[in-house]
Amino acid sequence: MAKAKIARKSTVIDMTAMCDVGFLLLTFFILTTKFRPQEVAQIDLPASTAQFPLPDVNVMKFDISQDGKIYFGLDDQHTRSALLERISEEYKFNLDEEQKKVFKTLELWGMDINNLPNFLSMDASARSNFVHPGLKLDSTEVGGEHQVENLITWSRYSNPELRIAIKGDKSTSYKSFDMLIQALQRCKVNKFNIITTEKTVAE
Amino acid sequence: MAEMEVADKGKKGNKRSKKLSTRVDLTPMVDLAFLLITFFMLATTMNKPKTMEINKPVPDENEDKTEEPTIKMSKTLNLMLGDNNKVYWYVSPDEIAVGTGIELDSTDYSANGLRAVIKRRQREVQELHGDKNELFVMIKPLPGSKLKNTVDALDEMTINAVSKYAILPPKEAIDSLVALQINQKRK
Repeated sequence: MAKAKIARKSTVIDMTAMCDVGFLLLTFFILTTKFRPQEVAQIDLPASTAQFPLPDVNVMKFDISQDGKIYFGLDDQHTRSALLERISEEYKFNLDEEQKKVFKTLELWGMDINNLPNFLSMDASARSNFVHPGLKLDSTEVGGEHQVENLITWSRYSNPELRIAIKGDKSTSYKSFDMLIQALQRCKVNKFNIITTEKTVAE
Repeated sequence: MAEMEVADKGKKGNKRSKKLSTRVDLTPMVDLAFLLITFFMLATTMNKPKTMEINKPVPDENEDKTEEPTIKMSKTLNLMLGDNNKVYWYVSPDEIAVGTGIELDSTDYSANGLRAVIKRRQREVQELHGDKNELFVMIKPLPGSKLKNTVDALDEMTINAVSKYAILPPKEAIDSLVALQINQKRK
């Protein structure tokens, strides 16, 4: 009887296809990843059953820390540049290209506008260690500059489609939240969003 | 694809020259690719934050109170958000006469607390006016309350399908009495 010959198969698997898939997915994840911006203040969000997602573009963001400091941020670099143009015009700042570039990359900030040029000329490490004192709330003072209102109006002027998102800590007192709301209402903004985390109804 | 044709530098003299395989082992490369994928998958925040939309009533510029449409107080519910996660609720009477008392009670933000109050009020409005959607809830946060309280109160509006509600400053005369009663600052 003739022995049946078993063909010896190679155990080497062609990895090319797997490699292709791997890098395809890698590319996808690299492109879609949006790293969390550096937080100016630690914020613990309140929970709600709201389901409306935060829009991707055209967002003006206000962060309110637990102690009532208010920070300001725009998501779009063009709007940021336009806002800075307007600020330098109104406050007579002479900013160089470097300072403008720094402002363009600023996700969130909170300080008296008059201190802005100083902050923008700091080097990168000094800037990241800088403790933002929060926006200047001078609207109720006599002769105040209305900085918060100005920021809102000027940003909306450069991008009329801006939506307003407020990210407040859950133990922020209503008083500081209300100060921001009043500033918004003085700028004829009566519609805004509060950023929350999700929870279920049963709680 | 991974194999490359390498021109054979045939050494004519040596017939035994080994033909080197041009196959590259891609296993380490795949390993690396998947390692990076894992990293990026974990670093990505897929869930977008949710937001709650708030519409504030447009403040009337000219302070002209004569045009203001009045709501029957029996259709309303006042929620005053105080400190220590307490909510005080009361119903203003339609007409204030001598000896009119208002019921003031406090509760918390749990399902048995605020939600039960709203449900009960909805039933009462249903009986009185025939439609529970007539209920108008006035949310009046006191400065001592936390943002979380406002969010919770607004959330209850959504959960109980209250269509008419507003965040108002505690400005009315009755509010100051209530604030005094519960011993909290109004401003």
